[in-house]
Amino acid sequence: MNLIRLIAVLCLTIPAFALAGYEPPRTADGKPDFTGVWQVLNTANDSLEAHTGRAAQVMREGPVVPVPVKALVALGAVGAVPPSLGVVEGEAIPYKPEALAKREENRKNWITADPEVRCYLPGIPRATYMPHPFQIAHNKDALMFSYSYAGAVRNVALSDPGPAPIDSWMGLSWARWEGDTLVIETTGMHDQTWLDRSGNYHSDKLKVTERYTRTSEHTIDYSATLEDDEVFTRPWTISMPLYKRIETDAQMLRFSCVEYVEEMMYGHLRKEPLD
Amino acid sequence: MPWGDPDIQGIWTSATLTTLDRPDELEDLVLTEEQVRFLEQYGEDMLKSIDDLPEGDLTAGEDVGGYNAAWLDPGTRVLRVNGEPRSSIIVEPEDGHVPYTLWGRGRFYWQGYTFIARHDNPEERPLGERCTVGFGSTGGPPMLPVLYNNNYQFVQTKDVILILVEMNHDVRTVRMGGKPLPKAVRPWLGDSLGHWEGDTLVVRTTGFHLQQNLRAAIKHQFYMTEDSVVEERFTRTSKGELLYQFSVTDESIYTQTWRGEMTLRSGEGPIYEYACHEGNYAIKNILAGARQEEKE
Repeated sequence: MNLIRLIAVLCLTIPAFALAGYEPPRTADGKPDFTGVWQVLNTANDSLEAHTGRAAQVMREGPVVPVPVKALVALGAVGAVPPSLGVVEGEAIPYKPEALAKREENRKNWITADPEVRCYLPGIPRATYMPHPFQIAHNKDALMFSYSYAGAVRNVALSDPGPAPIDSWMGLSWARWEGDTLVIETTGMHDQTWLDRSGNYHSDKLKVTERYTRTSEHTIDYSATLEDDEVFTRPWTISMPLYKRIETDAQMLRFSCVEYVEEMMYGHLRKEPLD
Repeated sequence: MPWGDPDIQGIWTSATLTTLDRPDELEDLVLTEEQVRFLEQYGEDMLKSIDDLPEGDLTAGEDVGGYNAAWLDPGTRVLRVNGEPRSSIIVEPEDGHVPYTLWGRGRFYWQGYTFIARHDNPEERPLGERCTVGFGSTGGPPMLPVLYNNNYQFVQTKDVILILVEMNHDVRTVRMGGKPLPKAVRPWLGDSLGHWEGDTLVVRTTGFHLQQNLRAAIKHQFYMTEDSVVEERFTRTSKGELLYQFSVTDESIYTQTWRGEMTLRSGEGPIYEYACHEGNYAIKNILAGARQEEKE
């Protein structure tokens, strides 16, 4: 029995030793410094779950196999969705049955229902794995996330601010430390944001617990646990690495998409609408 | 900061009764204490009167007014720089006005006319209405006070300083070194490069978005071009105060470089989310209203 316990302890401590090999830059209070421009290298924003490739985000019945819905046909290969192993630990998101039905409905209505299509703020955790970089500015007294997508921003409190005074798109975040791991809890998000382009969603009860651990000069181990009793049967976790942008003069340019959706949202209200 | 740079981190507010341009009634930059008392009383009375709507229902077509006073934050005090009460943010030229050339003034008026009179297309409406950036020049640069949400949060690192502009959750990224962006890349709020001169953060910004030329809000209206050059100087003068000086240079529309000065005061946090585009019923209704009017 004791031997098994010893082996178990050894197994658990090996990853810690492996991590200890990397010494991150630190802020004045000795905590790892997360300053930098970071980005995922995956397609989690297409779908968090494992999926095979398909010709478009939304498909319809075809004479032989499903084909893209009419609105997406013109995009050809650019509108296709590449395959992915997914980022959900345990593969499928544990939806309640009625919530799963809503997800399927969302998926069908992606073009009109996904807030990303309208350049709305992405919420947490989706902001992290949008196909755009984000910039962290971090020191002993401040932690700010500035996202390229939609110019979203998250100002992270360094002590528990209590419940959010009002729900918002990006929620209310606060950070604490578990050793060298930065743990950020976010609540106070309303139910208007999605988790990806595949209709995965949450309610306003969502609580997200993210963990950031610097594993090398250029990588962060990232995970986010989602708890939401209204939609899921249990808490579930996504995990992925974040990569540092290291090209010369690396910087984050903002994807200011509000102006890019004006034709889509207001084009029909022009004095002379275009064809 | 621990790495040796001066500390200007924190939340700063620019709310003040003093406007960019000097009001016609005032001649000198420095106000007398009697003028200060008058202006601050006048500001207080104005704010109070906003909520004084007549009793009962308004008849259809009558002006319902704008926001209630609770939503506004136009400042309660006149601007003081080094203790000196000021009649305008502009300190140069001496008359307290933007020194346009004839051509520059023409462009300013034409763009102003467009924003007021044209409702044919969304792109003709002011940037604040479109939610591309906040009203007027709140995000700047130069960053100027508007009717509300005059708060900024600075987060410093050695290589980059982020300035969160409350309206519309716009973040200015000030790179401390590096190359200017190629001319083809033109972000909203421009391309900002900073460096320290002693205790002063100096930020040079140009390469603005092609549509960010008219900076029009209730509290200021002026015109810049995409190639105007703004130099800002931030100097911490006390725990609670940051001296903010700026100059704007553009030979194509101004007869000379013009300069302004403000005092930013440290504020209470946190700054909450200012989402704009997500609930923008205004732009839709403005355009729809214009279409309806054409039918009638």
